[in-house]
Amino acid sequence: MKTVRIWFCKEGAARYISHLDLTRCFSRALHRAKIPLWYTEGFSPRAYMVFALPLSLGIRGERESLDIRLEQEISPEEIISRLNAVLPPDLPVYAVTEPVMKPGKIAFASFEFELETEDLSAQEALGRVEDLFSKQEILVEKHTKSGPKTINIAPFLTHTKVWEENGRLRLSSVLPAGSTENVNPYLITTSIRNYMGFDFYEKVARTNLYDAQMHPFV
Amino acid sequence: MISKKLERVLQRVQKPARYVGGEVNAVVKKKEEVDVRFAFCFPDVYEIGMSHLGMKILYGLFNAQPYVWCERVFAPWIDMEQEMRQEGIPLFALESGDPVRKFDFIGFTLQYELSFTNVLNMLDLAGIPLRSEERTELSPLVVAGGPCVCNAEPLADFIDLMFLGEGEEVDLEVIELYRKFRQAGKGKQEFLRAAAQIPGVYVPSLYDVSYHEDGTVAAITAKDGAPATVRKRVMLSMDESYFPKDFVVPFLDVVHDRAVAEVFRGCIRGCRFCQAGFIYRPVREKSVETVSCQCRDLCQNTGYDEVSLSSLSTSDYSQLNPLLDELLTWTPGEKVSISLPSLRVDGFSNELTKKIKTVRRSGLTFAPEAGTQRLRDVINKNVTEEELLKTVHTAFSGGWNKVKLYFMIGLPTETFDDVAGIAELGQKVVDAYYDTPDRPKGRAVSVTLSASSFVPKPFTPFQWEPQDTVETLRKKQRHLVDSIHTRKIEANWHDAETSFLEAVFARGDRRLCRVLEEAQRRGFRFDGWADCFSFEAWMKLFSDLELDPAFYANRRRDFSEILPWDHLDYGIRKSFLVEECKKAYQDMASPNCREKCSACGAACFGGGICFENR
Ligand code: SF4
Repeated sequence: MKTVRIWFCKEGAARYISHLDLTRCFSRALHRAKIPLWYTEGFSPRAYMVFALPLSLGIRGERESLDIRLEQEISPEEIISRLNAVLPPDLPVYAVTEPVMKPGKIAFASFEFELETEDLSAQEALGRVEDLFSKQEILVEKHTKSGPKTINIAPFLTHTKVWEENGRLRLSSVLPAGSTENVNPYLITTSIRNYMGFDFYEKVARTNLYDAQMHPFV
Repeated sequence: MISKKLERVLQRVQKPARYVGGEVNAVVKKKEEVDVRFAFCFPDVYEIGMSHLGMKILYGLFNAQPYVWCERVFAPWIDMEQEMRQEGIPLFALESGDPVRKFDFIGFTLQYELSFTNVLNMLDLAGIPLRSEERTELSPLVVAGGPCVCNAEPLADFIDLMFLGEGEEVDLEVIELYRKFRQAGKGKQEFLRAAAQIPGVYVPSLYDVSYHEDGTVAAITAKDGAPATVRKRVMLSMDESYFPKDFVVPFLDVVHDRAVAEVFRGCIRGCRFCQAGFIYRPVREKSVETVSCQCRDLCQNTGYDEVSLSSLSTSDYSQLNPLLDELLTWTPGEKVSISLPSLRVDGFSNELTKKIKTVRRSGLTFAPEAGTQRLRDVINKNVTEEELLKTVHTAFSGGWNKVKLYFMIGLPTETFDDVAGIAELGQKVVDAYYDTPDRPKGRAVSVTLSASSFVPKPFTPFQWEPQDTVETLRKKQRHLVDSIHTRKIEANWHDAETSFLEAVFARGDRRLCRVLEEAQRRGFRFDGWADCFSFEAWMKLFSDLELDPAFYANRRRDFSEILPWDHLDYGIRKSFLVEECKKAYQDMASPNCREKCSACGAACFGGGICFENR
């Protein structure tokens, strides 16, 4: 029995599938690709499948991962090609490695944003967003299991940069992520909308995951 | 392709995966390389439409033609509809994201009458005129198929052309004709007149319907060379007819999320309330080899670990045991399980259920349909109490303790005693449990009695019958509850008001087109969904338009009356249906097709069970 980590992107249409749907999709693909999975013993055997960290709907994931256990040796190249033959096009697998860190160690995630403003030049928008980010308090409503809650996201923005590029507003941000604390990147775009009163199309991507010491998740 | 506008909307709606496509086996072609674009519309939400076998077959068949690109379209749920209207996003197809109004064909599958408002609402969302006559260009052509086209007269003013019967061949013939006419630069009227010459094609606008003063049909007259009657098309050789090698595998959890193989079409039974039992005649089976091979292909190409053997009554498949044995030669190795969606009381055995899965998971369900033997004879449901009790005995000693029984309330000739008979039958099943010595130890039995309301349908022996009024149905539902004397039995039923509306449209005529048009204008849709259906609003609509819905639902028709669907021919003789109706009133059952042919007329198709040795 050997655990391997499957690295994939979640893009296009696949950005809109929930964590549960993603699990079902991968288990079907693994079955169809005849990957020799290791099953738990007992009355209803289950394959071992652990995703590193769920991703909010709509966000593109560039370094998503799934851990599985194999019953038999099979080469990484073989796993990649078999899975890509059966997965939907918007969930491409690009690497298979031996896991080093446990998913539980994840503490931060990095995000890239691209905002396309509608009635405002990117330059102007940049000024306003910089103003916003210099505030001590940026209150935004967060949906939690126990209902909406207002939180101040300003303290989380210490690793957030904003600039203009090719007429688009760009942001990059490192936010708490993982089992202890999670800040949804959409809270940033929501706060821009609410405070600065302009609308835009947004593209958000999660580019990497890190542990508490900011070592990339491997 | 997801447009920017759509991206933004997707952030705000429930289950955005309904609207993005991109699933495994979804077919994406290059626009420049295809000649005909077909928007296959299912007038309900994604999860319902994606469970539908007919759609999968035609999607596969169309896309197997290099020059056609068929895409899927579902009714957006109300939150999405609101966003789309607000943002000016027209109805679009899932694969390309292109607006459906740009397609050559917009094809609806009509599975239930309560989706008629969704058809109109989808046309409206697409931004095209509802009425056929207002769409003067050759394309988009609005076409329809599915069981409800056997009487889709309430949609006659909106649909350019309907396919009667099985679409596998006729759809492609119409597409071919369309290509020719488009190339020749010919117009829509010319095209429709030519299409009406293809067997199985019904062009409503080529038939004039006149009415008597009392609202009944006076005459249905074909014009412009259209045939006086249109006969449905059937595929005679099921082994040779197209079946997809793969299905689009949804991301979302849909109603039936598994591979489905069709074992036969039609039904030998002839239950007198069941439209499907008549309009799909004659029975045509697939061979064991074909089914097994199709199951294997599907599982391999989808990753599904469950395959369901589908038909109207799978335990009537003459080769069921050989088929299961054949499937079991490879399914365990592939970690695939087999399920049967419908089991007859007399088709149940523990030997059988050991080979299949569904039953174990969802509990046992049987459909005696009526509570007394007399009434079961009336409806020609050839199931006896003895058989039912024997079967539940077997099941109880096989370890089951939950049984669900389906019934109908409001059947012709039904009395309150027949209704009480449902509860009594339930009680006998409970008693049977405690009479089974080797029943599951330490567990109580649970019996669910599920009662739907009878809706008289065209092309059945009960097509002339009045439906019970909503008040009577309610009284009967109450009587059922009052007749239950134990907590071990639970009863549930369908809302009588929805069944009433279903009855209105099932046997409706073209005067209802106006009603549907106004219904769409008033924002009615998803009438099959309790959260969207408003009976009061519907009744107000009928009264505003001065049309009495009871005329359609609750009126007894005379055998001599011209029915709104009399120009459509499903192979079943009207005189046969009259005989069957009369036999019902004499409490007389009829043999099934396998026992003895009753000469219903379906032999006219020249194949199937009508020509097998009995
Ligand atoms: S003609 Fe006879 S065998 Fe054929 S469908 Fe009708 S009743 Fe059945």
